Amino acid sequence: MTAGTPPIAPDRTRSLALPGFARGDTRSGLRTLLMLVPALIIAIGFLFYPLVFIVQMSFTEGSSYLSPAGPVETIANYTRLVSRYLPNLLITLELALFATIVDLVFGFPFAYIFVRKVRYRTIVRALMVFPMFGALYIAFGMRFILLPGGPASPLLAAFGIANTDALFSLPSVVIAMSVFTFPFMVLNIGTALGNVDPQLEEAAACLGARPWQTFRRVILPLTRAGTVAGMLTVFGWSIGTFAEPLLLGSQNEQRALAWTVYQRGVVQTDYGLSTAMGDVLLLVAFVVTYLSLRYSRGALVE
Amino acid sequence: MTAAAAADTRRPAPVEARKPLLRSGRVRDLAAHAYVWTILVIFVLPFLALFGYSLTGPQENAGLSNYGYVFSTFGDNLLWSLKISGLTLFLNVLISLPAGYAIVRKSFPGKRLLFSLLTLPLYVPGAVIGISLILTYNFTYHLTTSMWGPVFAMTLGTFPLMLTPIVVAMKDLPIVFEEAAACLGASSWQAYRKIVFPLIGPGISAGLLLSFIIVFNEYLVTLFVHPPGLETAPLRVFNQIRTAGLAPTTAALAVTMQVISFLAVILFFRIFGTRHLKGTYIL
Repeated sequence: MTAGTPPIAPDRTRSLALPGFARGDTRSGLRTLLMLVPALIIAIGFLFYPLVFIVQMSFTEGSSYLSPAGPVETIANYTRLVSRYLPNLLITLELALFATIVDLVFGFPFAYIFVRKVRYRTIVRALMVFPMFGALYIAFGMRFILLPGGPASPLLAAFGIANTDALFSLPSVVIAMSVFTFPFMVLNIGTALGNVDPQLEEAAACLGARPWQTFRRVILPLTRAGTVAGMLTVFGWSIGTFAEPLLLGSQNEQRALAWTVYQRGVVQTDYGLSTAMGDVLLLVAFVVTYLSLRYSRGALVE
Repeated sequence: MTAAAAADTRRPAPVEARKPLLRSGRVRDLAAHAYVWTILVIFVLPFLALFGYSLTGPQENAGLSNYGYVFSTFGDNLLWSLKISGLTLFLNVLISLPAGYAIVRKSFPGKRLLFSLLTLPLYVPGAVIGISLILTYNFTYHLTTSMWGPVFAMTLGTFPLMLTPIVVAMKDLPIVFEEAAACLGASSWQAYRKIVFPLIGPGISAGLLLSFIIVFNEYLVTLFVHPPGLETAPLRVFNQIRTAGLAPTTAALAVTMQVISFLAVILFFRIFGTRHLKGTYIL
């Protein structure tokens, strides 16, 4: 290396002015656009356009979009939604809220132990992918477990609970939902906890804080962002719940919005009402996502 | 390594001095590990219950005949699942590789917004994706009778899972390697093919694993957009439960699907470890 050339630092992320890298001219800009075209086609063509489409359709009556006379424009779908289907929305939010609370209560200690104490992390990670295979299998398995004569009946009998009360009930739906979303909560809280120096806890203990005080004054404030992000993620995933209420719930839980969207839209072809419900779900999901992106480290890309 | 081992052998000595504290700490540790294992057992319990159920039946050798039934009667459904997963993974790679490169290496306005918009499909409830796609397939794209309907739906739902690990891997890759290649006279395509692509391989594999697991087990969006005659295995499980109630053969199909998915996960862990799944579903 001659004296005149500056050494190249290996951790440098900005480019030198070499051909082909990050040049600001038009040809390079065109190439950048070309690289993004496939992703843009799929995102615009199969997400943004369909979402705009269902918003439009939710303001037309029934399946009148199909009729040769042209669509009949109306806001009746939304008024019907409020007057007749408000319980459906409320039970959806209620289930999601309960699942979030269960995940928070059981997930925070789990994440803490996982980050601070567990050495066999690969086994935990491997077993934690089981819920990821889908809520359908969880609901199917739990339905079999709770069935009259199933594996759980002796246990239920010991507590004096009838099998059908346990099977078609709100708690079983909530348990299935929270098992499905549990890893999201652990992921978010665990990431936040991983960034907290264990020495801070030791310092608190040295200064005479009890474990509860250390938790409330040190750990909780430092992991608040991750905890809130975890709760919002779980809530956002839970509002789309489909198989769990259907397989494990009573009539009341089976009114969950996602299933009603399918019933009204695909089975009864009432596109107007079904898309209106879909839009409400979408709105809730977007609000939750916006909040969680504001709280979490959404800075993957500068 | 040796230093750590040495430290390990030295460790017990100072602890010995405060015995009562150690004992309460050990109880607390045991409780903590018991808690973790209880939760893990609850995670696996539905699978174990279905596995036990799939071995029962009226006939002799019930387990064997149930799994034989899966590969004969449900064989078509398994094949559809594999076919749709394969096509979706191929499209995911095709979309995410150039997009990931552009997002990390090129500078353009609104980059952060674009990335957020591209990961948006992960946050839209499945039923909303389903209803919006089946209506546009019906009225605009005329895809309701083609197998590409479900394939495009799956691609939309899972390409962010492919894009994210690729973006992470590219960000971890120092740009000096590409610059060195360019100094030695490689075109940017050559630099990409010979330098970048092999080095982000684990990231690509992580994306493949995540999207495979999701697509292979997806029933909800498929329920909305599947054309007549195309029934993937998870959808078959769903339909069997709804129409025929619980049956050991259905449980056997569900177990088969989960075992295939789990084998994919284990294979990935053995080859690449868990590092490359960071920031995704798996901690």
